[in-house]
Amino acid sequence: MYDLVIIGAGPAGLAAAIYAARKKIKTLVLAGNAVSQTTEAHLVENYPGIPSIPGGELAEKFREHARGIGVEIKDSVEIAKIESSDGKFEVIATGSKFSAKSLIIATGKKYRELQVPGAKEFKGKGITYCATCDAPLFKNKIVAVIGAGDSGQDAAWQLTKYASKIYLLNKYPAMRGDDRLLQEELKKHPKIEIYNQCEPMEIKGEKFVQALIFKHNGVGETKEITVDGIFVEIGSVPASKFLTGVVDLNEKGEIIINPKTNATSCPGIFAAGDTTDIPHKQIIIAAGEGAKAALSVYEYLKNR
Amino acid sequence: MIKVYSTPACAYCVTLKKFLDEKGIKYESIDVSQSAKDLQEMIDKSGQMGVPVVEIDGQIIVGFNKNKIVELLNIKD
Repeated sequence: MYDLVIIGAGPAGLAAAIYAARKKIKTLVLAGNAVSQTTEAHLVENYPGIPSIPGGELAEKFREHARGIGVEIKDSVEIAKIESSDGKFEVIATGSKFSAKSLIIATGKKYRELQVPGAKEFKGKGITYCATCDAPLFKNKIVAVIGAGDSGQDAAWQLTKYASKIYLLNKYPAMRGDDRLLQEELKKHPKIEIYNQCEPMEIKGEKFVQALIFKHNGVGETKEITVDGIFVEIGSVPASKFLTGVVDLNEKGEIIINPKTNATSCPGIFAAGDTTDIPHKQIIIAAGEGAKAALSVYEYLKNR
Repeated sequence: MIKVYSTPACAYCVTLKKFLDEKGIKYESIDVSQSAKDLQEMIDKSGQMGVPVVEIDGQIIVGFNKNKIVELLNIKD
């Protein structure tokens, strides 16, 4: 029996683990199979004290710090559900289970999957959700990027190094996002063709992706383009599905927390970081929220 | 014989190789972004085009599936 099981090993989970370890709380961190969104970030340039660092390196520093002070981390744990009785919790995972007096949920967010015919079938067969991983595989190929927010713009930019032609499909009349400079570069890039007010309808192919059909809402017509690859960047959703019925979630699926204590609607379960209803999804904020959650757990265990 | 097909900036690939290094497991690292032939070989073997792909004695694992790798290598995590 652990005093605390932390689910998630991103900035929130690991900051919580570091604070818990320093309070001598017997803690276990459960990490999933997916890497944290920090790890996938190109460069992090807004973390105080570290002017610029690849996301993967920062994530590794968090991990080393936690491990260095004796935090136990278990990797590749796929959680099925959480059961509670008499103020104790059972975290039930594939092939194992863990008991704890308290929990911190810090599972973050994961990418939103495309829901059109062909999207499931061709996942990994031309459809990808990781531009940093797979952009180099499309040298001299024709690709489409679905979604033109910050991540979609970044994906299109990465692809200009490899692909011969990039279609950027935008749901809105104009590109959104923070990086105005990048948007200007994309607009004038010879390889990029931007389609505004468009939504994907279907992905076709035999063994691999061959074509994308989309509706051009501005013009009111359907268009089919030949593509070898499709990069999907349509936002992310909280990784909170396994908590349905355990704690209160808002309409976006985010865990509702008390902003002062990080407590959820279920006593003994706390939550921190991007999976909660705090407004800004930032590494530094997630880390701070993790620290807060661990200190609240300390109070909770003391007063039990 | 173990082969790892990967690309340089892929976080899953880095994590996977680091894991194999930690366990002292020798493997051939193939950067598929550098050779169309290697990329095609990976696609033919795995039937898909995402990285990483690990080949352990002819068996193919797509993605960083640690449990499967541990099982096939018969090592302790």
